[in-house]
Amino acid sequence: MTLPRIRPATWDRDTGPFFAAAAERRLVYKHCNACGRGNHVPTPSCRFCGSTDTAWREAEGKGTLYTWTTVTHPVHPAYPAPYTVVIVTLEAAPDVRLTGSVPGAPDLAPGQPMEVWFEDLGEGCVLPNWRPA
Amino acid sequence: MARADDYAPFRDRCAIAGIGRTEFSRDSGRSELALATEAARAAMADAGLTADDIDGVVRCQMDHNSASAMTGALALRNVGFSADVAVGGDAPCAMVGVAVAAVLSGQARHVLVYRSLNGRSEGRLGAAIAPRPEAGGHGNYDEFFTPYGLLTAPQSFALLARRHMIEYGTTEEHFGAVAIACREHANRTPHAQMHGKPLDMTQYLASRMISDPLRLFDCCLETDGAAAVIVTTAERAKDLAQPPALIRATAHAPATGMSGGMMFPSITWEEPLKLAPRNVARQLWARAGLGPQDMDVAQIYDCFTISLMLQLEQYGLCGEGESGPFVASGAISADGGSIPVNTDGGNMSGGYIHGLNHIVEGVRQMRGTADVQVKDAETCLVTSGPMGISSAMVLRRAA
Ligand SMILES: [Zn+2]
Repeated sequence: MTLPRIRPATWDRDTGPFFAAAAERRLVYKHCNACGRGNHVPTPSCRFCGSTDTAWREAEGKGTLYTWTTVTHPVHPAYPAPYTVVIVTLEAAPDVRLTGSVPGAPDLAPGQPMEVWFEDLGEGCVLPNWRPA
Repeated sequence: MARADDYAPFRDRCAIAGIGRTEFSRDSGRSELALATEAARAAMADAGLTADDIDGVVRCQMDHNSASAMTGALALRNVGFSADVAVGGDAPCAMVGVAVAAVLSGQARHVLVYRSLNGRSEGRLGAAIAPRPEAGGHGNYDEFFTPYGLLTAPQSFALLARRHMIEYGTTEEHFGAVAIACREHANRTPHAQMHGKPLDMTQYLASRMISDPLRLFDCCLETDGAAAVIVTTAERAKDLAQPPALIRATAHAPATGMSGGMMFPSITWEEPLKLAPRNVARQLWARAGLGPQDMDVAQIYDCFTISLMLQLEQYGLCGEGESGPFVASGAISADGGSIPVNTDGGNMSGGYIHGLNHIVEGVRQMRGTADVQVKDAETCLVTSGPMGISSAMVLRRAA
């Protein structure tokens, strides 16, 4: 039996809305109304232009594979190896790269289509996750 | 950005006058304070200075020994300047930069800069975070990475290594060439931890995968040990015991389009294969009035093989995306390479003192006393950890 996964802090005032939306099965990112670029990780002002005119925006759960690593040396009892951490470029906002985790050591190719799914960690905590589309 | 002219009057005005280190081992059997004390006393003795001469102390913010602990341990009575400099392995060249600022602003005459860690027997930096129910919050952004199993430094750098392979066609043999070059230098350096342990490509490729494409031998050592240097003016250094290693310039700069957080968020930043070193390099070369083509030798922070390769590109020692073929050509070898790198084995094979070891080796090269001495070397680039906010400096042999 595997141990419970590490849960994301969902109470942070800057990043909590990402997880609040995930609990409703929605994927959101921080959009800058001034320069039009997406910001992830989410911050109160835009890291590209400095504007505080930013807002959460909903995105379709589509992306492409930016990079990945298959972890073969286990370091935590809740994460038995092998598993593969994937980094996905969000189709709706190419400045946004999001993390996912795929079981095992799948054959992957750069740029391949990825899709979001919502992993329920229980007690209202939901993690947006990614898998090959 | 400060202009080159702003810094020009401060070039070569300070020097590293003393260096010290302990044995590098897997289990020192001693406290980190005992190690720091030994390294500091060795640096003071090397310079020909006593405890009463030391009036400034600069600590890495991750060091368990506070400046006050060091003041007590060394029985320093005249300290009038102290500072903590962040972050971890990114800090050492910036620590020297802060010491330079203290000396040139008249706040101290001889500044002790130190780093001590039982990095193998007590707190393994390569290990995972302790099991805990929740991660993230307070602007460290771990909530976006840790729950997915992104837990350690090798995993984080593996994402960069894979991306470098995707963008530039870099191969695992390219990574291996870095590990082998560092090991060859360590095998000629008696105090290096991997002295007497040769490494060839077959052995490298057979080493176990940690987080692909990074293998065991792509990862640096974990070391018990300490190192220290003494910074003073070039003028005073001339009258001390050793030939001064002039500090031509230092710089300390963050990445572009970055965020807070330690390591994992780097993959979300604007250009993950450039990160802080690109900006450090821009400032450093302007301040130094020199460029990569002027360097005779380099000590480049190598927590992983890919870390060193990214910096070769960002400091302009090779072209963008060309670090793989560059290292495979033998360019970083002390045996005829165009820019010998990590001549004592670096973090990979020498010992991991979180980058202060690179500064000590840079000084040895400028004195002409390195075990793997680059003949007639007059300039040395030294860099510190390459992610969010990095630092570097140029050392020069005194005329
Ligand atoms: Zn903006």
